[in-house]
Amino acid sequence: MAKFDEELRALKERVLKLGSMVETAIRDSVKSLVERDSALAKEVIKKDHLINALDVEIDEESIRLIALRQPKARDLRFIITAMKITTDLERMGDLAENIAERAIELNEEPQLKPYIDIPRMADIAQEMVRGALDAFVKCSRVPYELIKKDDEVDKLNVQVFNELLFYMIQDPRTVPRAMRISYVAKYLERIADHATNIAEMVIYMCEGKIIRHTEISEGR
Amino acid sequence: MAIFDEELSALREKVLNLGSMVETAISDSVKSLVERDSDLAKEVIKRDHLINALDVEIGEESIRLIALRQPMARNLRFITTAMKITTDLERMGDLAENIAERAIELNEEPLLKPYVNIPKMAVIAQEMVRGALDAFVIGCTKLPYGVIRRDDEVDALTVKNFNDMLDLMIQDPKIIPIAVKRTYIAKYLERIADHATNIAEMVIYMCKGKIIRHIESPEET
Repeated sequence: MAKFDEELRALKERVLKLGSMVETAIRDSVKSLVERDSALAKEVIKKDHLINALDVEIDEESIRLIALRQPKARDLRFIITAMKITTDLERMGDLAENIAERAIELNEEPQLKPYIDIPRMADIAQEMVRGALDAFVKCSRVPYELIKKDDEVDKLNVQVFNELLFYMIQDPRTVPRAMRISYVAKYLERIADHATNIAEMVIYMCEGKIIRHTEISEGR
Repeated sequence: MAIFDEELSALREKVLNLGSMVETAISDSVKSLVERDSDLAKEVIKRDHLINALDVEIGEESIRLIALRQPMARNLRFITTAMKITTDLERMGDLAENIAERAIELNEEPLLKPYVNIPKMAVIAQEMVRGALDAFVIGCTKLPYGVIRRDDEVDALTVKNFNDMLDLMIQDPKIIPIAVKRTYIAKYLERIADHATNIAEMVIYMCKGKIIRHIESPEET
């Protein structure tokens, strides 16, 4: 069914587009913090509704395809995975928005310390998003090292926090700022968790425990 | 199709069952903190795999039903909503586990001050979970707008808790590690309430059914 193939391809394109919008949101939100650019942060917040709209669009299209085309096995799992992935992507967008909100607050205060680990966390998180979506699109074997990257982000989060703790204990006046920075690190950690969720769903889809059920039921 | 109806009601039961496991996890994790009962906290952590297993089971059963029964319109939306809801429930379970982990750590330290905001947040969060799932189960007769409104209460308590802890930290920097853990627990509860809000939104979305129109008039496409 050539038309259905095309519809699936269009769905895939949209998921990728959503992914790249989310990547941009992550990058810009952290950039707005590091370069103290609150105008950019406001831009990120303003653009979040585009991410939400595309999420809803993908969802509707997925359900339409399931109802209309009654796909089996591989295609069905693909569409359902697309629906689940977009939920995670949309929430990453919300987290990027949260980073931008904290950036605006932090940019109004004197800078506590240079941001070193946070941009690194953002880079790794973006790589994870890209890698997971790549695997989704090609249904290639999911890079297990991708999932392991989550540990790096967790470690950096702890490292950032311990460093901030040191500042706070030395000088309690830094507590409000330090807490905000620690939240930014937490948001990035959660973004990496969402990327891990996507990678896990792709593994599940491609290595297909579920495909067996559907194939068995077709044979009945 | 009577078998299909039965399968749908079994799916509904499973989602409810998962919901009540998650509610228990939330209330036990906060209880383990407030009553300084680390054994109970360990219990919560130990039971999390049951929540995960049921989540996977519901996911598989949903896909099986879609593939096998090829449901249309209302039933299809019900099943896809069930799948999405369980993802949120499973993550709430993870957050309850995180609360239990922090509880174990905090129970080993002196009590800074009695827990007031956190138990309040937990009660509201649980009510939100129940309200959202009730709306899902009874169908579309009553939409859970009230659940969504309560999210603001939880957010306000998170901020209140944060400010209380900030005061303590500024007064006495030695207690920072303890106070920070308490702000984390409030954050976890705030996220649990967010997940409940997500569920409520999905139920409203399912009921108001923009999507049903597409499905009911496929000839238009």
